[in-house]
Amino acid sequence: MRWLRFVILILVATILQKGMLARWDYKPDLLIVLLVFFAVYSHTSEAIISSFTIGFAADLIGSPLPMGPHMISFGLLGTLLAYVHRVVAIRRKPYQALAIFVVGLVAAVLTHLLALVFKREPLPENVLTAVLLTSLFSSLVGPFLFPPAAWCVGIEMNRFQRRSRR
Amino acid sequence: MLFTWLMLAGCILLFAPQSLTGKLQLAFVDIFRWPLSLGGNVALTARTQQSYDGDLGGGEARLRNYIVNLEQTLDQQRKKFQGLYGKYNTYVWEGADWVSAGVITRAVDGPRNELTIDYRKKKGLAEGQYVLGGESVVGTISDVFPQMRTARVKLFTDATSKIPVLLAGVPNILKGGDGPFARVEQVKTKVEVGEEVFALRKAGFLDAPIIVGRVSRCERNPREASVWDVTVVPACDIQHLEDVAVIIMNPKAG
Repeated sequence: MRWLRFVILILVATILQKGMLARWDYKPDLLIVLLVFFAVYSHTSEAIISSFTIGFAADLIGSPLPMGPHMISFGLLGTLLAYVHRVVAIRRKPYQALAIFVVGLVAAVLTHLLALVFKREPLPENVLTAVLLTSLFSSLVGPFLFPPAAWCVGIEMNRFQRRSRR
Repeated sequence: MLFTWLMLAGCILLFAPQSLTGKLQLAFVDIFRWPLSLGGNVALTARTQQSYDGDLGGGEARLRNYIVNLEQTLDQQRKKFQGLYGKYNTYVWEGADWVSAGVITRAVDGPRNELTIDYRKKKGLAEGQYVLGGESVVGTISDVFPQMRTARVKLFTDATSKIPVLLAGVPNILKGGDGPFARVEQVKTKVEVGEEVFALRKAGFLDAPIIVGRVSRCERNPREASVWDVTVVPACDIQHLEDVAVIIMNPKAG
């Protein structure tokens, strides 16, 4: 993976998420989409680094939530997904959408729980609805963002496909 | 091993004081203020294509808020004049300073509502100062980063916000809700929908009542039927605010 391109991609996604997308009522979480993308299409060690880095980026724009919960939850889930992907390949778009939906849901709940337990951040009543909607939009948009993301960081998307045909 | 180190880094961030990590978040916004606000402008342009739904536009709402504030101030001044007859009467905003600030980022749709603003005056901003947008109170300063001339505004709709207000002539506490609204709980009398809610005078921070929002709903408290829960929506369109003003009541010389 080309790390400089990775950093630029994450930076662009973070700025878009905090800037342009922040004004939209219903929006996908680009960072969750990228988290799943790197967990699925990169090597395990790269997936771990990228998961924590994306979590850190989410923390930077996560204000007023404190820093830390995103990094931990994204790191945990990204690592877990990378290991799951070793056993069960997530290649088709519907499966990728499902992975984004589940990871988005669990990551958001875990983030809010960590913030509640360690920082006493209030857990809002409508958190589940908001999280469900964001995860849904992310899962609908996410699989279509994988090819441009792969092109940006120089990852060959069909390398796993070729390996499975042997 | 890699996982353990990164997890440790995450835990350090989590347990670090929020005053410190908050500065990191503000620094990020400050460094990328241009692309962040540019993104906002693009989104605004896209949203202007939507059909007009009959609500007051930004300009009209601003004027209406201005008139309501003047009326309330006039009313307060009249009472003060009557009460302190014979004494010297000072204009409420005399000596106050206003700091104009641009909105860099906003989070207004979730339970945690805040703005990050870019202020142009180097000194004078402090936590707790009232912030006006569209001639109405939108929140208070929650964090200041003077080196970067950036500050955070906790909106009155934020779930952790509590500000004293005047509702139907009675002092109350306005608490943030779980969305773009706030609540006044356990009001003893029923309040009409559309009634204006004013921020109460607070020594050193606000010397005149300023409109905060309007009552959008008034329903009986589910636990105690004799009292009412009032929902208040902002008096201006916070989602599309481009500039705000911070009130500094007692600016230091120099």
